[in-house]
Order: sequence, then structure tokens, then C-alpha cells
Amino acid sequence: MRLQQLNPSMKALTIVVLVLLLALVFDPITPLLYGLWTIAITLLFGQVNLKKYGLFLIPFFIIAFGMFWTTLVFGEKPVNPDDMVKVFGMTFARESLFTALSLGLRVLSFAMLSLLFILTTDPTRFILSLMQQCKLSPKLAYGILAGFRFLPMMREELKNIRAAHRIRGVGRANGWKESFVQFKRYSIPLLAGAIRKAERTAIAMESKGFTGDRNRSFYRSFATGKRDWIFLVVMIGMFVLIAFTSWSLGYFQWYNGEV
Amino acid sequence: MANWKLKEIVVMSVLSVVFAVVYLAFLPVGKLLVGFFGPIGYDLIFGIWFIVSIIAAYIIRKPGAAFLSETIAATVEVLLGSAVGPMLIISGMIQGVGAEAAFAATRWKNYTTKVLVLAGMGSAVTSFIWNFYLSGYAALSTGYVTAMFGVRLVSGALLAGILGKMISDGLAKTGVLSGFALGKEVRSQNNEAQQIS
Amino acid sequence: MKLNKSPNLLIDVQDLSLYFEEAQVPVLSEISFQLQQRENVLLLGPSGCGKSTLTFCLNGIYPSELDGRLEGEVSLNGKPTSEFSPGELSQKVGVVFQDPEGQFCMMTVEDEVAFGLENIGVPVEEMEERIDQVLDLVNLLPYKEQSIHSLSGGMKQKLALACVLALQPDVLILDEPTANLDPLAKKDFIQTIQFLQQKQPFSMIVIEHQLEGWIPLIDRSLIMNKQGEIFYEGPLRNGIQQHVQFMKEQGICLPKATELALQSEIDRAHLPLTVEELKRMGGVSVPPKKRTYHDQPVILQAENIEWSKGNERIIDNMNFSLREGEFMAIVGANGSGKTSFSRILSRLETRQKGSIDLFGKALQSWREAELRRKIGYVFQNPEHQFITDQVYDEIAYSLRLQNKSEEEIAMKVQEVLRQCQLDGLEYRHPFTLSQGQKRRLSVAIMAIEDPAILILDEPTFGQDGRSTEEIMNLLSRKNEEDTAIVMITHDMELVHDYADRVVVFESGKTVFDGVPQELWNKPSDVLESWHLERPIQAVIEEDEGRKVNRHASSTT
Repeated sequence: MRLQQLNPSMKALTIVVLVLLLALVFDPITPLLYGLWTIAITLLFGQVNLKKYGLFLIPFFIIAFGMFWTTLVFGEKPVNPDDMVKVFGMTFARESLFTALSLGLRVLSFAMLSLLFILTTDPTRFILSLMQQCKLSPKLAYGILAGFRFLPMMREELKNIRAAHRIRGVGRANGWKESFVQFKRYSIPLLAGAIRKAERTAIAMESKGFTGDRNRSFYRSFATGKRDWIFLVVMIGMFVLIAFTSWSLGYFQWYNGEV
Repeated sequence: MANWKLKEIVVMSVLSVVFAVVYLAFLPVGKLLVGFFGPIGYDLIFGIWFIVSIIAAYIIRKPGAAFLSETIAATVEVLLGSAVGPMLIISGMIQGVGAEAAFAATRWKNYTTKVLVLAGMGSAVTSFIWNFYLSGYAALSTGYVTAMFGVRLVSGALLAGILGKMISDGLAKTGVLSGFALGKEVRSQNNEAQQIS
Repeated sequence: MKLNKSPNLLIDVQDLSLYFEEAQVPVLSEISFQLQQRENVLLLGPSGCGKSTLTFCLNGIYPSELDGRLEGEVSLNGKPTSEFSPGELSQKVGVVFQDPEGQFCMMTVEDEVAFGLENIGVPVEEMEERIDQVLDLVNLLPYKEQSIHSLSGGMKQKLALACVLALQPDVLILDEPTANLDPLAKKDFIQTIQFLQQKQPFSMIVIEHQLEGWIPLIDRSLIMNKQGEIFYEGPLRNGIQQHVQFMKEQGICLPKATELALQSEIDRAHLPLTVEELKRMGGVSVPPKKRTYHDQPVILQAENIEWSKGNERIIDNMNFSLREGEFMAIVGANGSGKTSFSRILSRLETRQKGSIDLFGKALQSWREAELRRKIGYVFQNPEHQFITDQVYDEIAYSLRLQNKSEEEIAMKVQEVLRQCQLDGLEYRHPFTLSQGQKRRLSVAIMAIEDPAILILDEPTFGQDGRSTEEIMNLLSRKNEEDTAIVMITHDMELVHDYADRVVVFESGKTVFDGVPQELWNKPSDVLESWHLERPIQAVIEEDEGRKVNRHASSTT
């Protein structure tokens, strides 16, 4: 089985359910183990290039570390300030460290789940499946797909606008105020061009007989099958198992907002 | 979606796609600010992440524009490989609800600066509640959390409400919005102005 | 000869008038015409006369998407369009639009064709076969699974055509499908249409500015004026013959051969439409301006330039020089490196190898502000260069950078407005101008500082005849003031009429550098390999040359 073959909507649902479940928990062990499990699944069944995976992971690590650090520094005063631990030659309250680690790992485990989805899902298939399984309006679905096509064009446009402004003698922005003016100066021609093109696209779509009617045939049809449910059950089952492990090790804690 | 014209939907989607890229581009800016100021750094520019709801609602003026545009922008961010993943779609929806609530309160009839600013602040409120839960802000001290909330409200008002209005008005001047609610309003105002003068 | 019998009547338009919003003046005014089965009609008119609006009335977009009001009646196969269900009419009347970028909503070629089939509810089992079949017709089958973004403009237009054909329409409307294509892609597109019609005749309405290539396909023409009225209906030849003066006044493009004949002493009673006809009438010779610049100093010199984008070598060991006051054309196939090189010359991209000297000083050591005053660059899309909200400020911008007094600026702005025929538009937003006006403004704002070199990237791209002429006049005037012009173009007529020197690019190298006449004398297969076509005048002159030779040999 490959993760690419799963129904995109069901895959998204599974991921969202798991993120919500993980959000309920507040200890370092559960997200750590679940994160590792997610990585294993992604690499084994997603046929994801290891280097690509690593590249995608870097920004997540930075965010997670940021979370960890700010919680450690800005976190609430520990109830038990005498219980200290040494890390990297600095001393912290064990409690603060515990909280910071939980937060950081929590973000990381969310990230692993996201990557599982992003790296194994084709955007077009995802939108088409949302339309077929989740009753997303066809007008909206094809509107979004049309919008998606604009991305590569916009990149070229922005490059051209930048060069064209440079020719006119518009300098590089220095400071906040100028950056702001620059933002407006680039965004207006970019958006104006895009809106005009979008209107043309809408007309072209209607000219091909598109009415937004749900009653249409599908060149690529998506269905939910047994394997989608197996995936959901296995992923949730593993969560329960890991949460149980954490509980037996004495770490498990529900998230109750007052940590 | 029955009373929406296809061109309105496509234009809304395109706006969402463009701003999804802008949103992604602002993440490193946020990180930089967090480096300087701590977690409150994000809140300084948080408003930029609501801007598409304001722009889409102000231009198209139909129920759902604020909510849908923000949701699509978040979805596109995910598809482009945002660091937050499918959860971001829910964040987007929650932000969209905040802005939509402000427009709903006027029964989608009033699009003055005041309402646009309130819509930006609406997104700030809903998004803050959501982040409070998801990112464990509860672990931070109460004073700090209050400060974060205040900064986010102002950011929503200025960077989403005011900047969103400025960009939309700038677009209206280029004439490309002539087939949309905002463009029509501008045109009828111009006509009136001409008749008076 | 086609018969106008009513069983063959396909489209019937009766007194169609259309008003936008609350406007009192109609965009289309009492339009009436008919289209028979298997008939090809040409719709001709100045830009903005409502030709595209008419298209929307025929394929069911209007009145449902119209903010305004519509009078009169349109019927298809005897049934009024108002009685068709939504989407049904769009299937029966297929349209290929002008903009190759804005016609698609899916990522890949096959998905795009499938989109149309899904709309009309074709069963899944039949889709694959129909997709393959239409893609094969337009030679795109090998690209079935490719992303649309990776296709060239010409291929995109053929894909748009395939999408429409898949729906098996009764009528095909071509709304300036080749206006944004280079000459080779245009030729290919017209040939594809010709091939399709031979295979299976269908009715067609062609809306076009540039008539070259289309004329043999056309049975009948409708000619519109600026007021949105049809003032002539009948054979194109008679139309042009009777209304040539009025058409010129209206800014309607005439075939190049006709234009040439008008400039010569050919009998006005028999105007030619094609090169062949013109040749039969004995041809004409309007001598191109011939100047040589061997004595002028070289002001821009580039040696051994190399530049790559990703892994692709775009510019490969390029050598190039420009003399003072020259009018140079850069030509060559798409992707041969023309735009990239022009950007390197103006320091918008940085060369990776080699050296460039501007007035004897290395390009990279020029200060940005000074460099921009020496070299102006006009982009393909004029809107990209606009940075203010008003035409006036747009022109005044660089003058203000030089700290000139507002009085002086006001005078200069008025002068520029007059030169570019933009009088009275100074308070408009630049984006709201017409295509031609935008283009002239973008040239004007670049030329205002009297740069020594003005580089233009396809300045006449997508412009109609009148507008092209006005831009070229503007450039000639600048050139006479000793500004060297470097113009990238696909239009060989312009090269013939205006350039002193022409440089041909192929795969990032210069393969020809000389006067235009010398280029036209190259063997046809060489020109073809460079994706070039001889201009009409060169074709005629060449034939005359041959005739003279033959004549000479037969008398000896």
C-alpha cells in the first residue's frame, strides 16, 4: 500500500483527528513517540525522498525550538522552583523544562503529520476529492483549481514588475515606511493583472459549458475504500497505544489549560 | 454559492492564492520578530494573515466572502507546504469566521472603514482564542498573554482592516474591478460627483 | 458557391443591441447577420468595437453574466438562445479566446480537455477515447500528461482549440486566437484549422486584426465601425475595395499587401489582398530607408557573454556591439535568448561570464541612477512599468527625480502628451488607458530622459495596425534625435521598414549580423531554421529580381 493511493479527503480527516487528539495531551513522551511513528509511516509507505523530507523538516525544527526556548524563558513561574535540572550548562526548573519540551515536541509532532499529508498528496486530487466526498461546491472547487494555476504566472509577473520598477529608478526599500509603500506598489499591478486574467478564465470556463451544476461526470473519480478506514483505525490505535505507554511510564498528562 | 457569479468565485480564489503566498512570505518575518521580541513578535504582524478576508469581502460583498477566502488561502498554504499543515485550514476557517461575523452583524450591507477595521479585529479575537488552545499560550504569564492579545487586536485593525482597504481602493482605481461590487460603487460615486460639479 | 437557403441557416442575429450598465450609448448597435452551415465568416473591426461582446452574446455568456441590457434576438438552428438551458449553448458554440494563459483551469492537458467533457456529462468510459482523438487532431497527443504551464503559447492555443472540439460544437468562434503568438506559431495554428476543415467541414466565425494567412479560408466578411454597427456585409474583397478610406480612418487593419498597394501607383480599382495578387499586379517598391553606421562610434560592446538559468545555458558565448544612433532589430525563435540578453545588456540580469562596456566603461561599475539615464528599457507588458496613479505623475516621475521645477515639468509633460497623442488623458489612471495608449505611455516615460540607448521587448506585440504605426513613429522620431534603438520583434515587416541593422539569435548565439536586405537574401531553408519569414516587400522584390534575370537570360 502507498499513502498516495489513499483518498485525499479521508487522509486529511485522519490527520486532523490526530492533531486534535495530540492537542489534548500535554507531556513530552506521547508527541515524541508519535512523531517518530509518523516519520516511519511516511518514509515506509510514502516513498518520500529522504533528502526532500529533511529539507521540509528544517523550518519545523526552528519553530519547535523557538517554542521550546520562549516557553523556557517567558513561561510562568514554576510552582516548585527548587527542583532544578542542568541543561547545556544552564540550570532550569525541572517543571519549566518539562513544559517547554512538551510544547516544542507537540509542534514537531503536528509538523510530522502535516508532512505526511503534504508530501503524499497531489493538490488537484485533493480538491477534486473534496468536491466528490465532502460536497464542496463545484464552482468553488474549480475556482480554486483555476486560482492555483496562477501561481507560476504570478512568480514571473512579480519578477518582471520588480525589474520594470528598477528601470524607472524606484530604489530598494529602506526602513518600514518605504517597505510599506513598496508592498502597495508591487501588489496593485500584480493583483490588477491577476483579477483581469481571472475574469477571462471564468468566461473561458463557462464557454466550455461549466455551470457549477453538481450533476457532472468525473474523469478522475475518488471513492473511500477499506484501506482508508484501516489507515484511520491504525493511526488512532497507535495513538492510544503510545498514550498508554506514556501513562505507564508515569508521564501522561491531559492538557488542561493551566499547566 | 448559488447567487455567486463564477467570475466572483474565480477572482476570490485568485486573491486567496496570491495572499497564500504573501502569508507564507511573512512567516520568516514573524520568526525574525519573535527572535527580537519573543512570542509577541508574531502578534505584531498577525493582522497581515487576515488581509484577504477583508479584501475579498470589501470587493465582492457577498455573504461568505471573508470566511471562504481566508479558508482557501489557508488551504493553498497547506498545499504549498506550509509548516503548520492541515491544521492551518482550521486556523484559516476560525480567522475567517471572526471577520465574517463583523460583516454579518451589518447583514453584509455596510462596508465602511469602521466595519473593515472591526472585521480585522474580529479575526484577531477568534484566532487568539484558537492559538491560546492550540499553542499552549496558557503556559505563559497572564500579563504577557494580555499584551499579546492587545497587540494582535491593533495589528488586525491596521494591517488587515486599513491596509486591506487601501489595497482594494488602489485596485478599484485601476478599473479592473468594474464588474464587482466595489468597482460599481466607485463608479456611481464618480458619476454623482460629476453631476454635482 | 454556397447557397443561402434557410435549411442551412445556423445562426440568425436580428437587431441585436447591447448596453453596459446604465449607459445610453450601446456597445453593439442593431447588429443583424446570418451564418450558414459550413460557412466561414470574418468579423473585422477596430479594437474596442464590441467584437468580443458579440461573441459572448452568441455562446450564451450574455445575458446571464451581463450587467446591462440586451435587445434583439439571437437564434441557433432556429431556436432562440434564451430557450437553451445553461451551458447547452456554450457546448454548441465553441470559442477560442485571445489570451493563451487565461483559458484554462486545470493543471494538465488531459484534465483540461476532460473538464469540458465532464461539464456536458460525457460518460467516463468514453472520455479517454475522445480526449486522445482531439489531442491527436491538433498534434498534442504526446503532451497529454504534461502540465499546461510547460507548453508554448502556440501549443496552448491548440489545446484551447482541442478542448472546444471535444465538445463537438456546431460553430467555432475564433476570437483573435493568434494575436499573442509569434508568426511561426500563428502559421501553424491557421494550418491546423485548415487541416481540420478539410477533414470535417464546420462553420466558423473568425475575429482577427492581422488578416495574413486567414484570407483563403474566408467566405464572407462583416465589417464593424467604432459605434458597434455592421457597415458592410459581403465578400472581403468588395468590402475593402468600397470602404478602404473609411476603414483606414476607423483604424481597421488592412492586409499588408493592400497597404503596400495603396502606397504605390497601383490602380485603386483593383486592390490586392494577398502577396500573390500584388505580385501579379507587378509589385511595388517602397524603398526602405538605408543608413549605415560603420563610422559611428561603438557605444555598447559585449564580449563572450554567458548566462544560464538553472542548468540551461541561455546565452552562449555571445558577442555584440551597438553603434551610436543605430536602429537595431533583434530577431529569432522564442527561447533563443533575445529577452534574456536584452536584460543582461541593461543590467537587469547579471552576466556570468564575459564583459560589457558602455561608453568605454565597464557596465557593472556604472552607478544605478546614471545607468538608468543612459539605457531605457520598455517591457513587454506596459503596465509593469507604471508606478503612479495618474498619467501626469507617470510622465513627471523621472523629471521629479532630477529635481526639475514643477513649471518646467508641466511644460515637458504637455509636450510628451501631445507627441504620444495622449492629450486630455493626464488625469486618468494609467491602467484604464487602451492597449495602444498604455504602450505609447510606456515608451514615452522611457524616452523622456533622452537615453542614449532605448531597448524594447516586442513593443508592437498584440497591437492593432494603427497603434503599431503610432509606436513606430514615436521610435523613429527618437531615433532621429540620435537615440540608439534596440528592438526585439517577430515582425519582419517592421524590421524591413525601420531597422538599419538586424541581429539574428539562435540558441543563445548570434548567427547573423548585418543590414536587413542581406538577411532576406539568405536561402529560404536557412531563414526557416531561424524561424524567420521574409517580409512581403522582400518576397516581391526577390521575385522581380528573378524575373529580370530570366528576362535577361532569354534575350541573350
